[in-house]
Amino acid sequence: MSIWGPDIEREIDDELRFHLEMKAEELVARGMAPDTARHVARERFGSVDDVRRWLRRHDRRKQRRVERVEHMETLLQDIRYGARKLFAQPGFTAAVVIVLGLGIGAATAMFSAVDAALLRSLPFPHAERLVGIRGVGLPFFMSERQTMPLIGDLRGMPDVFESVGAYAAPGGLNLGVEGSPQRLRVALVTTDLFPTIGVGPMIGRGFVDEERSEEATRVVVLSHGLWQRQFGGDPRIVGRQVQLDGRPYEVVGVMPRGFSFPSESDIWLPLREPFGWEDMRPFEQFLPHRLIARLAPGVTTLEAGARLHLLAQRFVTDDRPSTLTAAERATPFRDQLVGNRRTALLVLLGATGLVLLVACANVTNLLLSRAAARRSEMALRATLGASRVRLVRQLLVETLLLALAGGALGVVLAFASLGALGALLPATLDGLVELAVDGRVLAFSLGIATATGLIFGLWPALGASRTNVADAIRSGGITASGSRDMGRLRRAFVVVELAIALMLAVGTGLMLRSLQQLLSTEIGLLPERVATMELSLAGARYDSAAARRVFFESLRERLLAVPGVEAVGMINDLPLRENSGGISLTMWAEGSELPADRDAQMFAQMLDVGGDYFRAMGIPLLRGRLPQPPPARTDTSQPAPITEAVINERFARLQWPGENPVGKRFHVGDFELREVVGVVGDVRARALTSEPLAQQYTSMDASPYRKVAVVARGTLSAATLARHMRETVVAIDGELPPFNVRPMSAVIAAAATPWRLNTLLITTFGVVALVLAAVGVYGVVAYGVAQRRREFGIRRALGAQGTDVVRLVLRESAALAVIGVALGLAGAWAVRRVIGSLLYGVTPSDAVAFTAAPLLLIAVALVATLLPARSAARVEPTVMMREQ
Amino acid sequence: MADDLTLLQGTLDVLVLRALALGPVHGYAVARWIEDRSRDELQIEEGALYTALYRMERRGWIESEWGRSDTGRRAKFYQLTAAGRKQLALQTDRWARYSRAVTRVLQPA
Repeated sequence: MSIWGPDIEREIDDELRFHLEMKAEELVARGMAPDTARHVARERFGSVDDVRRWLRRHDRRKQRRVERVEHMETLLQDIRYGARKLFAQPGFTAAVVIVLGLGIGAATAMFSAVDAALLRSLPFPHAERLVGIRGVGLPFFMSERQTMPLIGDLRGMPDVFESVGAYAAPGGLNLGVEGSPQRLRVALVTTDLFPTIGVGPMIGRGFVDEERSEEATRVVVLSHGLWQRQFGGDPRIVGRQVQLDGRPYEVVGVMPRGFSFPSESDIWLPLREPFGWEDMRPFEQFLPHRLIARLAPGVTTLEAGARLHLLAQRFVTDDRPSTLTAAERATPFRDQLVGNRRTALLVLLGATGLVLLVACANVTNLLLSRAAARRSEMALRATLGASRVRLVRQLLVETLLLALAGGALGVVLAFASLGALGALLPATLDGLVELAVDGRVLAFSLGIATATGLIFGLWPALGASRTNVADAIRSGGITASGSRDMGRLRRAFVVVELAIALMLAVGTGLMLRSLQQLLSTEIGLLPERVATMELSLAGARYDSAAARRVFFESLRERLLAVPGVEAVGMINDLPLRENSGGISLTMWAEGSELPADRDAQMFAQMLDVGGDYFRAMGIPLLRGRLPQPPPARTDTSQPAPITEAVINERFARLQWPGENPVGKRFHVGDFELREVVGVVGDVRARALTSEPLAQQYTSMDASPYRKVAVVARGTLSAATLARHMRETVVAIDGELPPFNVRPMSAVIAAAATPWRLNTLLITTFGVVALVLAAVGVYGVVAYGVAQRRREFGIRRALGAQGTDVVRLVLRESAALAVIGVALGLAGAWAVRRVIGSLLYGVTPSDAVAFTAAPLLLIAVALVATLLPARSAARVEPTVMMREQ
Repeated sequence: MADDLTLLQGTLDVLVLRALALGPVHGYAVARWIEDRSRDELQIEEGALYTALYRMERRGWIESEWGRSDTGRRAKFYQLTAAGRKQLALQTDRWARYSRAVTRVLQPA
């Protein structure tokens, strides 16, 4: 008893004791002895024990508790009854729960993702004041004069920007640890970047201006994760030395837990201004940077953009026109991060809404049918004395049980699918926003489900409870007019479901076709049985070209010694790698004019290869031969020999259309002249979906890059090749961490990931909607058949065959399906443009998708009809008649 | 004995309600108050007092709360609810009419 609240019996005792004590005190004050006083007080009271017993029995709270217990028991009774009833119809119950679960789960998961990516504010203080800046650069130590606005100019505009910072990411460096070197993700940040975004180190400090200079000690800030993983959360981490690419760096700070902006960085280094080659170490050939600024109070993004545009005009000349509009120069920072995924996310959100709609329609249908079937039961219970309130409450409990079960399933599904959705978010956003099941969305979805359940479970329940008892029992629970209306309503719902399912099916068809086109695109290389690995030869040990040459020759020798390895090569910029870091320069044929207009100039990728790269990758050599490295220069008085290069077909077509380019020469930027010695096939290096660029390759055998991707081809499986590659590197130099060691096919698959994911999601929605629609059709037909048993019985008695009955039912159902499909086609046609940006190689009005989807849907509808139709046709006419 | 008790019970209710009209008091104080006000003519049977209090609480005429007496001891305090105030008015009026009627009948002709 005492767990339910204050101990009533003790309180009663206390109260009575208080009274007796007060009485005794009063008597003592009048001169009585204490013992006598106590005795008299008890006497005067009357029978203390009797009173105590009476009070205990009649205490008001006790009364209330008893009432509560009674209520609970009634409720439990209702719940038990409801649960029994639901389990008695497992098909119906399972259907409703699954439908609700799918709808709620999908809606919650999808909305959480969209919310995290688009709606929720970034976890920076006043993140809405942060803007991404375009068209402004960082000072490079080699620049002679300023050709564009630089970050310093923005710092000089405190009326527009409260503070400005820049970062360069993602880069990579080797962390030198005994026995297990690691590759770390690096971001370079200016000293004012952390203050600009408003997040600072949790331990230690960020960077100070002194660290911007060349001579300063090298310092680094660690991420919380790295600090824990690698340094065991050492409380004395500040001041410790770490080896990055063979150089010592001092740790000056640790960022807070969960912070890895930008690009899931493990460490941050100071970005110097002006930056030099040193700063480029973590990167390939250029510094990929972004500026971010905090707007001064009262300044809008548009105003900032206009001011930047004005500033940019100062540097505009005739041959360097400004290419950005004012509005493009300053955009809310979040938009920059989300980039072009916005459309995809919104389309998926729309699809989710549709699925939710179908789910609700389905649940409604199921509940309506149940209500009709329960009418006789309700009527009977009313006759036996159940009050209307009780009946309604009964149905309410059942409906809520269903809603809760569906909701629980939905929650489970939501959590499960969130992991998959995490990949949908742009990579940089992953460093910032935690993708969690959004409580509001969950509540919203549960609310929708419960509301649907209540409305469509309760409304017929109210009708059922009011039913005329006699009528209900006489007609077997189904009155003529009522059922006709219900039937029409249910059929309408099914048509809507079919229409929506069709729209999703068309969408799925389009996405699947698109993916098919994507995966069958000619990339230009042969990825089967090819493995790749990336390396960064960091450290003083590899400072000399000779040392690097020795390493790579040793690597090639050892790999080729493995039986089954056919070719080994290297390249500075692996095709289709994420965060491709290569550069391209403008090139033009010797003897022709470089067009003044930048858009007319040809930019070609500067690629350097070593070893047997082309054979390893399966890139065909179409003309000429492979480039040789320039011979060592012994006599510097002689002019330097011309560098040999191999170009791709596109390059050849653009510069020397119709001619044989071998032997011809071309200019590379302002630098030098090169000579074509061979032509290779085009490679889609940047993205699967973009046309190959012009490409030119020179040999790096004489002076290999530090950062390369090694490629090997063989008769072994790609996975085995990859393993050999890693082991060989470790055998030669145990302190070099090879990274991204994987089959080439994995690289390609990764490049297609966003497409595959979108397709997978929409296909899932399509399938779910299709299943739901099928269930809906089944339900309606089964209900109709049950209703018309008498009619069918009569028909059979009059000579109709079983197959005739089936055909009748099919025909009616087909009519429904055709209407639904027609509506759906109209809907899909109307919104076809929405999905356009997600497609590749396929127009939104693709005939295949628009024909296959309706056919599929009609087929599904007919199959769903067949089952109940056949079961109806099988019953003997005499049985049917007798049932009445 | 039973008759006296019944009469007393009905009268006791209105007396207790009146005792509580001025603010929260504990059971003992109610007994003292009634005895003082009636110049010790009415001796309250204390057990009956508490059953009356509990009964009226169940009916919703009074509500209770634990507090501290002016000597610092823990005690249960009672006060009138809105319904209780109505009852007080009602029963006071009824008692006045009753006593007037009886007095009139007992007047010497």
